[in-house]
Order: sequence, then C-alpha cells, then structure tokens
Amino acid sequence: MSTSMKSTLSFVVLLVTAALSSVISVQSQAAATGPVVRLFPTTVLEDIRETGQAAEAMENSLQEVISRLDLQQQLYTESLCEGSDGDQGCDRIAKQLGATYLEMLNIMSEGLPDMERAVDSTRRSLEKRLREELGHRTTPTMLQETLLGETTTSSPASRPALRGKSGVRLSDRFKQYYDLVATHKNGPSRSLAVVAADIYLDMEEASMLIAATQEEISRAALLEQLNQSFSLITPQMSAVVSGVKEILFGESTGEAPIAAPPNAVGETDFVSPLAM
Amino acid sequence: MGLINKLGIIGVLTAFGLGACVSPPVADVCTGQLPGNLDRAISEVESRLARGCDYHFDSYFASLLAIAAENPDKENPRRFSDHLMNAQADGIISRRQAEALYNRYFNVKFVSFAGDYNTCAQACPVRSKVLTDMRTELTDKELGLVKVSDDASRFYRADNLLQETDLVLEATCRACQAGQPAGEGLAISR
Repeated sequence: MSTSMKSTLSFVVLLVTAALSSVISVQSQAAATGPVVRLFPTTVLEDIRETGQAAEAMENSLQEVISRLDLQQQLYTESLCEGSDGDQGCDRIAKQLGATYLEMLNIMSEGLPDMERAVDSTRRSLEKRLREELGHRTTPTMLQETLLGETTTSSPASRPALRGKSGVRLSDRFKQYYDLVATHKNGPSRSLAVVAADIYLDMEEASMLIAATQEEISRAALLEQLNQSFSLITPQMSAVVSGVKEILFGESTGEAPIAAPPNAVGETDFVSPLAM
Repeated sequence: MGLINKLGIIGVLTAFGLGACVSPPVADVCTGQLPGNLDRAISEVESRLARGCDYHFDSYFASLLAIAAENPDKENPRRFSDHLMNAQADGIISRRQAEALYNRYFNVKFVSFAGDYNTCAQACPVRSKVLTDMRTELTDKELGLVKVSDDASRFYRADNLLQETDLVLEATCRACQAGQPAGEGLAISR
C-alpha cells in the first residue's frame, strides 16, 4: 500500500510539475528585429485554450472533494487519532477519509482522459510547428537571430518568470500562456520560440505521465478499497491530496521559481565590422 | 705567406661572425615580453608581426587578451577589432579567421552555432557536439566580455542565449526526429 501510494504521489507530482512548468516563461519584449517565425497559429492557440479548459474542469470537479478531505483530515488530527488503535470514533473518521480519498481518485481518473486528449493535441500541433518553422525553415544562424532578435527593456521585476510552482491555479497559468502567445501572435517571435519549445517538451512528458498516472490511480484505488476494512490513513494519502491541491490550486509554499536570467541590455555603441 | 693568407681568411670570417652576433636573432625579436599597457602591447605585436613573426600570431593574441584582462575597459573590443582588421589587411590572417576570433570573444552570438543549412539537417545530427562547443565558447566569451570588456550584461545575454538554444534545439530536434519516416534513422546509422 505504502509503495503504491508513494508511486501515485510521485506521478501526480511529476504530472503537476510538468503541466505547470509548461505554462509560462514570459519575457517582456520590445521591437522585433529577428526573422519572423510563426509558431502559434490559431489552431495551436485553440489547443492551448482547450488544455486550460480541461484543467479548469478538473479543478472545479476536485475542489469540493478536496475541501471535504481537508476537513476530515483536520478532524482526524484534532481528535488525536494518529496512533490510536481500536478507537471506534477514529476508525469511523478514517473510513470516511479513505472513502473521500477514493472519490478524489475516481474524479481524477474521470478527468484525466480529457486532459490527456488536450495535452496530446497541443503536443502534436506544436511538434509540427517546431519542425516546420524552426527545423526546416530556419538555419542555426537564423535561430540565434530569432532568439536574440529583441531587446528587452523592462526590469526583471516586471517579468513574470513562472516556471515551476508559483501559487497560481493551473487553469490560470494556461490562460496566462494563451494571453501571452495570442498577444504576440503577429509580433515578436523571440521568446515565443523558447516558450513553444518549453511547452512542447513538457507536454510530451505530461502525455506519458498522464497515462502512467491513470494506471497508478487504478492500482491505488483498488488498494484503498481493500484498506477500507482496516481504516488506515497513510501519510501518502495526505501527501497525494497535498500534491493535487498544489498542482491544481497553486497552494504551495514549495520551491521558488527558477531564477530568471539577468536582465538583458542593448548592444553597446561599438559595433565591430567583424561582428556577425 | 700561405700561413698569412690563411690567418687573413680566418680573421675575415671571425669578423663576419662577430658582426652576425651584433644584430638580434629573429627568435628574440618575436618572443620578448610585451608591455603591460594594451595599446602599447598591440603596437609591439603589430610591429613584430611586420618583422616576420607571423607564426606567433596565436600566442600574441592570447597574450593580448591576458594583458587586456588586467586592464578591463569597454573600449577594448574596439582595440581588438582594429588589431584583427590590421592583421587581416597585412595578410597575416584571413577575413574569416578575423571574424571568428572577434566573434568568439566579443560577440553575444556563437560562432560554434552558425551555418546555412536548416536546423534539422545541420545541427540536430551533432546536437551534443554543438552544445559542447558552445559551452567552450562561452568560457572564451567570459574572458572577452567580462574580464576584458567589463561588460557582464553582454556575457549574461550570451549565457542566456546558450540556455535558450539548448532548450529550443532539444524540442526542435525531437520534432524533427518525430517527422522522419520510419526506418530513416536506421539508414543513417549504417
């Protein structure tokens, strides 16, 4: 039971991390000077929007059950049930908690196929754009120009570098991402190449993790059903719940976002005739 | 009489020999220590190069970078650019070599990631080598941009460019690979 729950937790946390890190590495941008690369046509934007909607649907469906789990967990702790064997009241709370936990797993397993479809669709459409725009239509020299093609003028404080956990709802992150690419769809392409690459790699990982998570949820659910007869509450159960809350609702005090690079500045006045 | 003639010839030869010792050998002209001031060091290097020390160009360039690192200045890239242009004008190095050296040390862009073929064809098959070369070049940029030019912000841009290139290449090369017809990878590996 313990190992299985740990696996579930790991998968959920990985899934969350992958999904969250796919969201945004926004960099403020000014004038574009690099080659124009079209990475986000309307179809890709639509895929991203649908992925956000799938995340939102999952959040909504889980919100109530997770609140209930919180209350039951609080009651269990405040009743000093941890370590108490044979107390009927505690057994009853533990069973209720286990049942709610099962309910959460069921909701997740119902919601994950939609997430899976949305993620896979986004992944495939981005894969095609990356191959065509950056793989076939761009040379290494042009790629450098694309990445350096803009002069960042804003301060780091104005740049919402949101990779990793950042206390933002998953659906909100997708909305931010959607807004980012939609705003720039006809403009600068520099950081969009990075964002597209970032999203694509994370979506690829997320696709695999969703499938693995679905398997693990089935196994964990079965074991928890067996556990119901013993009224056990494992630390792993709490951890899974915390992981889900962290992923979907951004309720995290965990690690800080990955540090953004130092603020870039414009070229100095001197430009050598030897410069590329 | 014959003995006198012989002594005369020996005397003449000795005189020539001593005379030869008066002018310094080429090796000394080329290998003396350079001044600590960058402008003077560059003048000295260009003077030596003009006197036939071409084959020391690389070591001179390294020495000039070391001297410049002791005298960081935002104007140093201009000094090196002028020096490389002069060396190219004198036929000591080619235009391509001059560009490669300048950009390797003083430009944000990477000379080790340049080319005219598409990314799928040119960079993806040798992606790890490209990134290794870029990381090596980044250490040269650290010398050129931070230590020599006192311009850390441009170095950070180069560092950021390397990180972004790594990420974008990974995604792009995976996408390229996914688009290949089945079996093409095997054909290449043979």
